[in-house]
Amino acid sequence: MSPADVLNELEKQGILLTGQQDKISDYEQKRPFSLHWELRSLLYVGILLLSSGLGLLVYDNFDQIGHGALLTAMAIACTACFLFAWRFRPEWTVAQAKNRSPYGDYALLLACLLFLTLEGYAQYQYTIFGTRYGLVTLLPALLFLPLAYRFDHRGVLSMALAALISWVGVTVRPLELYFKTNFFDRETVFSAIALALVLIGVSFGLERQRIKPHFAYTYLTIAGNLLLIALLGGLFNFEELHLWFALGLAGACIILDQYARRTKSFVFLLMSAVYGYIGVTYLFFHYISPQNWDDGLYYWYFILTGIALVAYLMSQIPKRSNA
Amino acid sequence: MKAYNEAWIYNRTIIDQAERWYRKRMLSDKQIAAVRKAYPVDFRQTNAFIEIGLFLFTTVAILGSYLLPASFFSMLLNNQTVYGVFNIAFGIVVGIVGHQLINKRSLYRNGIDNAFVVTLAGFLAFGFNQLLPNGLSISAHCLLTLPLLLTVLWYYGDTLIAFFTLATFYTFVFDGLLPFSWGRGALPFVMMAVSGLLYFLARNPNLLWSKSPIRDAYYADPQNLVQWITLLVLAASGNYFVVRELNGLLLKPSPTHAPEIDLPFLFWALTFAIPITYLWQGLQKKDRMLLILGVLGLIAGVMTFHEYFALVPLNMALTIGGLTLIGLAVLGIRFFREPKNGFTDVPDDDSPDEFFVNTEALTAIQATANTHHNTNDEVRFGGGSFGGAGSEGKY
Repeated sequence: MSPADVLNELEKQGILLTGQQDKISDYEQKRPFSLHWELRSLLYVGILLLSSGLGLLVYDNFDQIGHGALLTAMAIACTACFLFAWRFRPEWTVAQAKNRSPYGDYALLLACLLFLTLEGYAQYQYTIFGTRYGLVTLLPALLFLPLAYRFDHRGVLSMALAALISWVGVTVRPLELYFKTNFFDRETVFSAIALALVLIGVSFGLERQRIKPHFAYTYLTIAGNLLLIALLGGLFNFEELHLWFALGLAGACIILDQYARRTKSFVFLLMSAVYGYIGVTYLFFHYISPQNWDDGLYYWYFILTGIALVAYLMSQIPKRSNA
Repeated sequence: MKAYNEAWIYNRTIIDQAERWYRKRMLSDKQIAAVRKAYPVDFRQTNAFIEIGLFLFTTVAILGSYLLPASFFSMLLNNQTVYGVFNIAFGIVVGIVGHQLINKRSLYRNGIDNAFVVTLAGFLAFGFNQLLPNGLSISAHCLLTLPLLLTVLWYYGDTLIAFFTLATFYTFVFDGLLPFSWGRGALPFVMMAVSGLLYFLARNPNLLWSKSPIRDAYYADPQNLVQWITLLVLAASGNYFVVRELNGLLLKPSPTHAPEIDLPFLFWALTFAIPITYLWQGLQKKDRMLLILGVLGLIAGVMTFHEYFALVPLNMALTIGGLTLIGLAVLGIRFFREPKNGFTDVPDDDSPDEFFVNTEALTAIQATANTHHNTNDEVRFGGGSFGGAGSEGKY
């Protein structure tokens, strides 16, 4: 349905004032077409291509091009990006701030990605960190975290959190989260849980202090997923600690659920429902799997829990805004 | 008679548009209230994330309900006909229950009804295909299933069903052509012709039936999806890489390197001509879909060229490509700072900002980790501590 059709409809209903139809249709015809999103996507894809291209370039050619030349060129590019971002940095404020140049955020992102390549190169070539590999991931985390706050950049914040998580020993990439994490190791599970709890605590604390409260979403999506996956990993792998992991999972789900309802961020509601369901189902089949049950009763479990969760989610639907 | 209240869907489109004007302060508070009153919509509201959950758990409950009688009658179901009838019967039950829920709870794309529609179509199609005689080709199965899917699509106007219907149709064309000696050669042309025709029809549905704003509103989303997919298939069928590699895959025995195809020049021309046409038309008609597909098609064209005539190694290609894209974007942002030729860089209602920010964060993590993982296995740095084997990272 074109805007003109809608206008005719409203006119027929007698809702529009005289002359208003012409005014609106004039606006619709003259309204420029926004390429904002398309151009930003192009810029973003370009940055990702460039940084991965340069990364590959370094690893493929480090012995042909002079180390010094390559390193210098990239350091200059990285510094240039950073200086550009710094020049147009937003005013420091604890509220949400906007970069003063349309490219500032992207320059910062590119600077950070280049820094990672540089750091890797320096470690490979000169082993500046020796064998303390932990430092290699801790350094970006320590650098990116303040940058994210100073520049109000959620992308850099996510990178900092990802580096922090790598440092603790769990590689978390959103798309490989489920395939590559190593949750058979008790130490990994506990350090992941500890880190997630610290991050969630920090995020709640900062939100309460109204320091960059819009960062809470990023913190909670990353740390919340990490926590819930670690808890599930613990639940699946360490039978002797079932009770603790089950309690932890229940607690985490309840807190996320409450938070979702308070802030109306329903992604957390979904997270708590799905992870919680997986945990409960696992426990159900692990403990309440009586030998004398026939298959039918298992299916009843799925039918009844499915219906219960549907009813629960339905009851959480936000109230209609336009009535 | 359709599954959902058509008048409400129609009203919803009107209210959406009116609210856009209201946000621009072109309608007063009183007027928007009058619009809401004159065009009632009583569908239950949802939120994208809750919808995902509802879809998931509804599917769990339905599948549980399916397995329960299926395990009960398991002895009987060894017979293919009985199994087929059982599936169809279950599909019908799903349809009836779904219908009740949609009416009683005023559902419209709330996840629950989507799950019912998809499982309904799945069980019906599955059961129906078991009743068909053995030995039919895939294309015959697809062709015979199409009327069923089209009926479901007509009744519900569901976007997922539109996708499955289109996929079934393309499978029918693809598989139907292969047995002929000339089929493999004609495949790209047939696919392009069929896609072009479908796109044209999806664009001008009034050629098929008389214009009706209510029906337009009911099928707006499936119609949009069909346009996206047909344009995508059209561009892919003309792409040199796709044609050559697919041709190689279809050869028996399959060669390790796909051989040169007939009419290479034509396909090279099409690889670039189709996206350029999209882009040109998109700029003329101010059509977002054509613009996006045009740019993506051009990028795919350059990648195709790189695949066969690598002038520079991959790392250089990525670097140059990245620089080019950044340059183009910066130029575009500068050029369109003030509206020019009807285009602007200023965001409007159609720009999905919030969603984009979240995606950006996600890909940033992905990219961060990528930089770490780029190293070869024998490269010492990184190896253990953050290369996935987390246990070694004790720092």
